[in-house]
Amino acid sequence: MTPEIFVQLLLNAIVAGAVYALVAASFSIIYSTNKFIHMAHGSVIALNVYILYFLFSVLGINFPISVMLTCVGSMFIGFGINKFYNQFREKKASLVILLLASIALMIFLDALILLLFGGNLKSIGLIKAAKGISFLGAVITPMQIVIIISSFIVLLAFSIFIKKSSLGVTMRAVADNKELAEILGVSANQSYAFSFVIGCLIAAVSGIFYGLEYHLTPTIGVKLIFTGFAAVVVGGIGSIKGAILGAFVIALVENFGIWFLPSGYKDAIGFMVLFVFLVFRPQGIFGFKNKISL
Amino acid sequence: MTIAYLIHIGIIIGIHSILAMSLQLAFGFTGLINLGHIALFAIGAYSSALITLNGIPFSVAILLSAVISGLFGMLLGFFTQRIQSDYLALATLAFSYLIHAFLLNTTSLTNGPLGLAGIPKPYIFGFSIDNNLSYLILTYAFAFFVYIVLKSLINSPFGNALQATRDNELAFQILGKNSFKIKIIAFMCSGFLAGLAGVLYAHFMTFIDPASFTIMQLIPIVCIVIMGGLGSLKGTILATTILVLISESLRFISFPVSVVGPLTQMIYALVLCIILIKKPKGFFGKVTLK
Repeated sequence: MTPEIFVQLLLNAIVAGAVYALVAASFSIIYSTNKFIHMAHGSVIALNVYILYFLFSVLGINFPISVMLTCVGSMFIGFGINKFYNQFREKKASLVILLLASIALMIFLDALILLLFGGNLKSIGLIKAAKGISFLGAVITPMQIVIIISSFIVLLAFSIFIKKSSLGVTMRAVADNKELAEILGVSANQSYAFSFVIGCLIAAVSGIFYGLEYHLTPTIGVKLIFTGFAAVVVGGIGSIKGAILGAFVIALVENFGIWFLPSGYKDAIGFMVLFVFLVFRPQGIFGFKNKISL
Repeated sequence: MTIAYLIHIGIIIGIHSILAMSLQLAFGFTGLINLGHIALFAIGAYSSALITLNGIPFSVAILLSAVISGLFGMLLGFFTQRIQSDYLALATLAFSYLIHAFLLNTTSLTNGPLGLAGIPKPYIFGFSIDNNLSYLILTYAFAFFVYIVLKSLINSPFGNALQATRDNELAFQILGKNSFKIKIIAFMCSGFLAGLAGVLYAHFMTFIDPASFTIMQLIPIVCIVIMGGLGSLKGTILATTILVLISESLRFISFPVSVVGPLTQMIYALVLCIILIKKPKGFFGKVTLK
């Protein structure tokens, strides 16, 4: 491996990590508040990417407005998904039932995307041919720099929101101990709803970056949810900071892994990491144990 | 024409019944939420296809493939023995994606996304099973065999051990029993039977590709198991019949294939959600999902 290729793979990993970190952070806030695995999250992201594609590339609405509409739409989708899960919560459904319901929702959304947009590759094509900037022998496009910086800003704003705002505090309280929070007058149902709305907002941002950087296929939802969940497991369940670190670990493994494995396995690396971690080290690399922290 | 179509549906129902009953063994009777079951089915189908394409007779292939599937089931059970409920579901789901990626990428062995074509029709004990009617008889012979085996297994002391593991693993361990061993054996038997279903599927279709073994094919099977009721073989067969008939009846609506495919998946997803909300115990279920 020459130094140029090393730097290039590292840059690719950082760009992918910036997108995955948003996926993982948004999944993590939903997961730690609601305590069940929301498998449809990746498909929600995929749906957002396709909504952006539809607004910007098909209808031709200008880019900032398309982005805003996508984000607002995603918050409504989050609200709707919470309503969907409420049907199960009212019946006191177990975690397994909720997981199966989320898998059904995932299948439903993926099939819906396939039905509406077809199975062929699409790209948003905001900038037709961006000229790359040379950096230590590797190439990085201006778009990638924008993605890395804005991802960092969004994550920072998100963590300040979770830490400081009263909504964030109640959400963490419910995540930490639902019964105690309810005794103190926090509405758990409200926190569930907000976790979905905010999780879907961050998901929309990650979807927008994903759509700008990669191609669109109806199966990206599955890849993203496994990457996001693997990041959460690697970083330690319940910790958003861990999820972000985990996302970068996955991105590094994925991008350096294809140096050793056939490129067809790139998408399978998330599953592999997830399987290995669930089997051998379910507490994550850093070994946080069910701690809700930032 | 109508008769030929009915025989076709009959075979599909038979194969899916075997697959669903094998999942019932792990999921319904032992409480192992194995979403990697479709991978075990795929392993059975691919092994048998590769073995018979290399000229080895069907009777050897079917046994060997089921054993290979059983071994993979055992391995999956061994690695996931300490994981429980939703995490087990996710780890096994990751396993099914891993096997899918393997089938797609090892082109030299599995012919990648193009799949394996020209899988020979079975030739067993001097009889050539070359038409669908004889295949129907073969499938139902196996389905009946699996039903009887599972029925007697469930009523045996071992079956009680399986159900005890499902109902209260801690209490079972306190009695000095090894629940991990029980779970691994359940995974193995379930894998063996899933492999059997895979073999029948491969030789019926005569063509298999990785796209036939994805989570989209798993959802109907999970749907069947929950709809029929956890721990009920009769319910499983009833649910298989209903679900296969629903998906087959969609063929009569003259939509293009690109619409029918996603539409079928959406209907499965909806059916699963409705069952989970309205009747999580299914038709004849005795236990709830934990």
